[in-house]
Amino acid sequence: MSTPSQVSQVPTVDPVIVEIIRNGLFAVTEEMKTNLMRTAYNLIIYEALDFTVGLFTRDGDTVSIGLGLPMFIRGMSETVKAKIRHFGHENIHPGDILVTNDAYTTGSHLNHFTFTMPVFHEGELIGFTCCMAHWLDVGGSLGQITTDIFSEGIQIPIVKYQRAGQVNQDLVDIIAMNVRLPERALGDLRAQITAVTTGERRFLELVQRYGNDAVQAAILQIMDASEALARQNTLSIPDGVYEAESFMDDDGLEVGKRIPIRVKVTVRGDEMEIDLSDVSRQVKGFYNSGFTTGIACAQVAYKCLTTPTDYPVNDGSFRPLKVIMPMGTVISAERPYPMRVWMTFPMTVIDTIFKALAPAIPDRSIAGHHADLVFPNIHGISPEDGRLFIVGIGPLGGGWGAKSREDGVSVTVCINDGDTHNSPTEQLEAKYPVLVERYAIRQDSAGAGEFRGGLGAEMVVQALSPFSVTTRIDRMHCKPWGLEGGGEAAGNGIGIRRQGVWEASLPNAKIFNVRLERGDAYKMLSGGGGGFGNPLHRDAQKVAEDVQEGYVSREAAERLYGVVLDAQGQIDEAATARRRQAG
Amino acid sequence: MQPTHASLRIAVDIGGTFTDMACFDEATGQISFGKALSTHGHLHEGIQNTLDGAGVDLSRGYLFLHGSTIAINTLLERNGANTALLITEGFRDIYEIGRVNRPDAYNLFFSKHVPLVPRSQRHEVSERLRADGSLHKPLDEAQVRALGRQLRSQHIEAVAVLLLHSYRNPEHERRVKAILQEEMPGAFVCASHELSQEYREFERVSTAVANAYVGPRVSAYLGELETHLADKGFVGDFYAVQSTGGLFPVAHAKRDCVRMLESGPAAGVIGAQAICAQLGLPDSIAFDMGGTTAKAGVISEGRPLTTGSALIGGYEKALPIQIPMMDIFEVGTGGGSIARVALGQSLRVGPRSAGSMPGPVCYGRGGEEPTVTDANLILGRLDEHHFLGGEMPLYLARAREALQTRVADPLGLDVTRAADGILRIAVTQMSHAVKAVTTERGLDAGSFTMVVYGGAGPLHASAIAREIGIRKVLIPHAPGYFSAYGMLFSDLRYDFVRSVFRRLDSLPFDEIEAIYQAMEDEGRAAIAASQIRPDELVFERAADMRYVGQEHAVTVDLPQQSFVQRDRAGIKQHFDQVHQVRYGTSAPAEPADIVSLRVTVMGRMKKPPRHEVASGQAQPDANALRAHKPVYFRSAGDYVPTPVYRRELLKSGNVFEGPALVEEHASTTVVQPGDAVLVDAFGNLQISIGSDRT
Repeated sequence: MSTPSQVSQVPTVDPVIVEIIRNGLFAVTEEMKTNLMRTAYNLIIYEALDFTVGLFTRDGDTVSIGLGLPMFIRGMSETVKAKIRHFGHENIHPGDILVTNDAYTTGSHLNHFTFTMPVFHEGELIGFTCCMAHWLDVGGSLGQITTDIFSEGIQIPIVKYQRAGQVNQDLVDIIAMNVRLPERALGDLRAQITAVTTGERRFLELVQRYGNDAVQAAILQIMDASEALARQNTLSIPDGVYEAESFMDDDGLEVGKRIPIRVKVTVRGDEMEIDLSDVSRQVKGFYNSGFTTGIACAQVAYKCLTTPTDYPVNDGSFRPLKVIMPMGTVISAERPYPMRVWMTFPMTVIDTIFKALAPAIPDRSIAGHHADLVFPNIHGISPEDGRLFIVGIGPLGGGWGAKSREDGVSVTVCINDGDTHNSPTEQLEAKYPVLVERYAIRQDSAGAGEFRGGLGAEMVVQALSPFSVTTRIDRMHCKPWGLEGGGEAAGNGIGIRRQGVWEASLPNAKIFNVRLERGDAYKMLSGGGGGFGNPLHRDAQKVAEDVQEGYVSREAAERLYGVVLDAQGQIDEAATARRRQAG
Repeated sequence: MQPTHASLRIAVDIGGTFTDMACFDEATGQISFGKALSTHGHLHEGIQNTLDGAGVDLSRGYLFLHGSTIAINTLLERNGANTALLITEGFRDIYEIGRVNRPDAYNLFFSKHVPLVPRSQRHEVSERLRADGSLHKPLDEAQVRALGRQLRSQHIEAVAVLLLHSYRNPEHERRVKAILQEEMPGAFVCASHELSQEYREFERVSTAVANAYVGPRVSAYLGELETHLADKGFVGDFYAVQSTGGLFPVAHAKRDCVRMLESGPAAGVIGAQAICAQLGLPDSIAFDMGGTTAKAGVISEGRPLTTGSALIGGYEKALPIQIPMMDIFEVGTGGGSIARVALGQSLRVGPRSAGSMPGPVCYGRGGEEPTVTDANLILGRLDEHHFLGGEMPLYLARAREALQTRVADPLGLDVTRAADGILRIAVTQMSHAVKAVTTERGLDAGSFTMVVYGGAGPLHASAIAREIGIRKVLIPHAPGYFSAYGMLFSDLRYDFVRSVFRRLDSLPFDEIEAIYQAMEDEGRAAIAASQIRPDELVFERAADMRYVGQEHAVTVDLPQQSFVQRDRAGIKQHFDQVHQVRYGTSAPAEPADIVSLRVTVMGRMKKPPRHEVASGQAQPDANALRAHKPVYFRSAGDYVPTPVYRRELLKSGNVFEGPALVEEHASTTVVQPGDAVLVDAFGNLQISIGSDRT
C-alpha cells in the first residue's frame, strides 16, 4: 500500500496559484459538509456529524477530505477506486451517481451509504466527489449481536443510483422496503446527493477559473508538499524497529477471551513501515472491520505523528508509509464475517502504534485513551404516537492520554470520530421517553502521572416508558495504559438499575436488547486517559488543585501521587516529602 | 425635559485600537466624525478625546449611542468576575464537557474550551423539570438559600443559573434567582431563560455564564460612563448597541451585557443597510477588513440576516453564545496577516497576524515577518508618506527587504510578484468567507452589491469583488468610522425566542398565539419603558421549523396573517420555500415540526436625513488629484502611473476610471484598471467592477 514518490510530469504551477487552489479545494469539501449537515434528517449526521465528504482524482486518490471521521481517511478513496474498477472509467458518464454500502469495500458497516459523483470538464473525467454518511437504520437484526453480514441489514453492491441524471427508482424502492425508518433514510440520501452535487459544482468552478491543467498540476504539487512534510517528520524519528501489544476485552460471544493487537513499526530514514500481520484474526462477533480500515489504522496513526495539521487531508501525506496488512485479520475481515461494530477495535490498534513509537519519540506520542464511542442504542415504542423509535444517545466522550508535557484532555470523543458532537439532553428528552439523571465527570478515572490523563464521564438514563438498550462497549477490562511510568486509567463500563437497585457487576460492557421498564435506568461509563511519567513527580500544587476541583480524590492524591493534604486542602509539605521519598 | 438646543445624536464605537465617533446634528443636518486611540482601563477618556477632537459638546446631545468591545474583550482576555454557576442536580459538568467534539481530528495536542467557572464553583441544585415543563422533582429552596449564603461568604461577585428545560418552564430559575438576590445583595445574578428560551443546555449555560462573567465589569463601566456623560452636561438618553445591531437602553445593557458582544461589527452592517436603503439596493454584503480579521454580513431584501447563536473564540475552543446576533462570518485575514513559505515551496498567508504590535514590517516597530500591509506598500497601494494622513511614516525599504528574503527568494520569485501573490491569496481567502455567508443561505453573491469599509477593506474591495463575480462595490463616505456611523441608523430592538416542539399539523393555534403575544407584550413593555418614543412599533414573527424526523431547524419568517387565519398550509408553504432556497431541496409532502417561536419587536427611530456632498463636474476638480504614482496591477503586468485622488475633495457627480487610488485619512481605495468610479450625491464611491478576472 505504499505509493512511490511521484515525479510530476506536469509543468510546475506558480506557488501563488497552488496556494489559491489549495484554499479552494478545502472550501469545496467544507461546503459539501455544510450542505450535508444542514439537510440531513438524523441526529447522527446533524448533531453527531458522523459522516465524511471528499474530493478525489480521476483515479480515486484523495485530494481533500472534509473534517469528519478520521477513520474514514482510507475508506472513501478505496470505495471510489472500487467503483472505478467495477465500471471502468469508460462506463462512468456525466450525471451518474454511484452508490454502495458494501461493508468489505468501505471497510466499515452497512450503515455507511457512500455516494460518488464523477466530475466532467469539457467531456473529460477529471475527478470525483464522494459522501459517506451514517444512516440510523439499514435493516437487519435490531439490537442483537450478529455473526454474519447477512443479519446486519440490506447490502447494496456497487451500482448506479443515478444514470445520466436519471434516478434509479427501483433501487430507491428496494432500499425503502428494507430499512425500518424509510423517510429518514431517504431524507439522508437526499442530503448526501446535495453534498456530492455541491462538490461537483464547486470543483468545476475552480477548474473553470484556473484551468484544468493548472488545477491538476496544483493538486500534484499539494500532494508533493504534504509528502515532503511527512518525510521530514519521519526522518526525525530514530531508525529502529518498535513493537507493542495490547488487548481487547472480547468479541461479545466468547466473553472474557482477550483479543490480541500486536503491531510492529520499522523506521528507516524518511520512511516508515507499519506491519499489522499480528493483529488478531477475524472474530465471530461483529467487531470486524475491512481491509481499508486496517490500512486507515496505520495511516491515521502516521498522520497524527507526522502531518497532523496539514490541510487539506490528501494522499501525498501517506507516500512515505508502507503498511503490511494481510487479509483475514480483525481489521481486514472477509465476507461474511460480521462488521456492525467496525469502529471499536481499530482505535486500539492506533493507540498501540503510538505506544510502540513512544520510546522513540516520547515528545510526540500519547498515552492510551478510552478508545470507544460509548454509544448505547435504544429502541422502543413511543408512548406519544405508538411508533417505533430508534436512537443512539452519545457519544459520551471520554478521557484522552497524557503527553510528555501536558495533561490529557477530559471527556472528548474518541479517535474514530473527529468533529462529532454529543446529543443535548433537552433535545433527547423532548423527542424520546427518556430522562437523563446525570451526565458528569468521573472522579479518579484518569491515569496518574507527572502529567495525568484526561477524565472519563458517566451518564445515567432513566426509562420513562419501556425501551430496550444495547451496548457494544469494549475496553472495560483492558484499560487505557500510561507511558513512561504513568498509570493506567479507569476502563469503560455500564450498569443496569432495576427497581432502584444497580445489578451486580456485569462480565463485560456488552448487553443486547436489555428491556428496561418505566423507572429503570442504564448507566454508561467512559474511561479516562493513561498518565505520562511518574506520578510522584507531578507538581504537588497541581495535585492539590485537582483535589480541590474534585478531579482527583484526597485518597488517590495520597496513594498515587504521594501528596498529603491537610484539612483545608493545603499541601502538607513534610508528609508529602516523606510519602514521595518512600516511593 | 430636553433642552431645546439638544440636537445631537452621538454615536461612539470603541474598537480594539481606536474609538470612533459619528455625530448627527438634527438642527443643521450635518454629520461629523472623530477618531482617537482607545484608552484601555479608562475607556471614557478615549470617548472624551474623540468628542473633543471633533468639537462635539455632550450637553447638546439628546441621544448617546454606544458600542464597545469591552464585553468581548472581558471574555477573551478572561478578566471577568469571580463567578459561580448553579445548575440542575446531576449536570454540573456539562459546562465543562461541552459537545465533546474534536475538530482538529489528527492533532494529538488538541485542546477544548476552558470554562469561565472552575468546577469547584459549579453547584448542583436539587430540582428537576421534564421536557414538557412539568415537575419531576421540586426545588429545594432551603438548599439554594444555603448556597447563596456560602457564595456570599466566598466573595462571589456573579452567579449564573441554568436549570434544565427552563425554556419551557422558567419558574424554578426565577425562584433560584430571587433567593440568590435576597441572600447575595449586590451580586450580579443571571438566569439562563432571561437570555435564551431555546433548548440546548450547553449552549444556554455557556450564554448565562458568559453574561454573569462579564456582567459586573460591563455594568460598572456603563455606570461610569453614565456618570461621565452626566458630568459633561448630557441630559439625553443613553442606548447601547446589541449584537443584532438594535439599540436597547443602558439599563437593559447593564443586565444583558452579553448582548453587546458584537455591537461594533453589527452596527457596521446596519450602516450598510442604511446606505443601500438610500440607494434602493435590496441585496448587499457588508464587508469589513481590519488588521487581524475580515468580516462579512449579508443584507437580503433590505434586511440583515441574523443567526440564533455564535461561537466566541476559535472553533475548537469556543464558548457558544445562544442569542440572536447579526450573522457575521469572520476569516483570519487582515492587514497584519503574515506571509510565510512552508515546506514544499508553498506560500501561506495568515492566520498568524502581526497584530498592531509589532505590526507589519513597514510600521518600523520591530516586525520582521512580511504581511499583507507590507505587500500593499510595495505595490504602491499604500504610501510611505501619506499613511493615516501622513501622521505615521511607513518604511518601504524594510518591507521590501523582509519580503525579498523571506518570501520572494525562497520561492524564486521577484519581490513584486511575491507581493502580488500574497495579496492574491489573501483576496481568495476573503472571497471564500463572503461566498460562505451567501451560499450557506442559498443566495447568489454575484447579484449583490458589496459595501466595503474598515481600514483595510477598500484596498482589496475591487479584487475581492472580481473573485466572487460581484459587479458593484460601494465605498461609503468615511469607511474608517463606519460602525459609529451605522449606529446613527439603529432602531430599538428586542428579540425573543421560545422552544415549543410542536407538530405543525396538530398545532394548537391558541397556545401558539398566546406565546407570541406574550413575547410581543414583553417587547412592547420594554420599549414603552424607555424614554424615547419611536416613530413606529414593528412586530416580526418567525418560527424555527424542520421536517418531522429532521434534527436541524431553519428560521422561517411568517406573516402575522398566517396565525390570524390559522393557515397551516400557508405556514408549511413558507417553510418549504425557505428550505428550497437554502438547501436546494424541499419535501412538500412531508409533515413539519415547529421547534421554536421567535419574535422581534422594533421601535423605529427617526433616521438622519440623507447626507449630501457638494456637487461637481464629471471631471474631478484639479485640486482633488494629489499626484500620479506608480502602482502595480497584475492585469497591466507592471507598475503603471496611477492618479491619486483625495477623497475629501471629490464631489458628487465626479467620474473617473481605474487605475486610480483614492486616499483619505483612515483608508485607501484601490480602483483597478477596467473599473469605473462614480461619486454619488451622498459621497459614496460607487465602483463598477471591470469584467476581467485576472
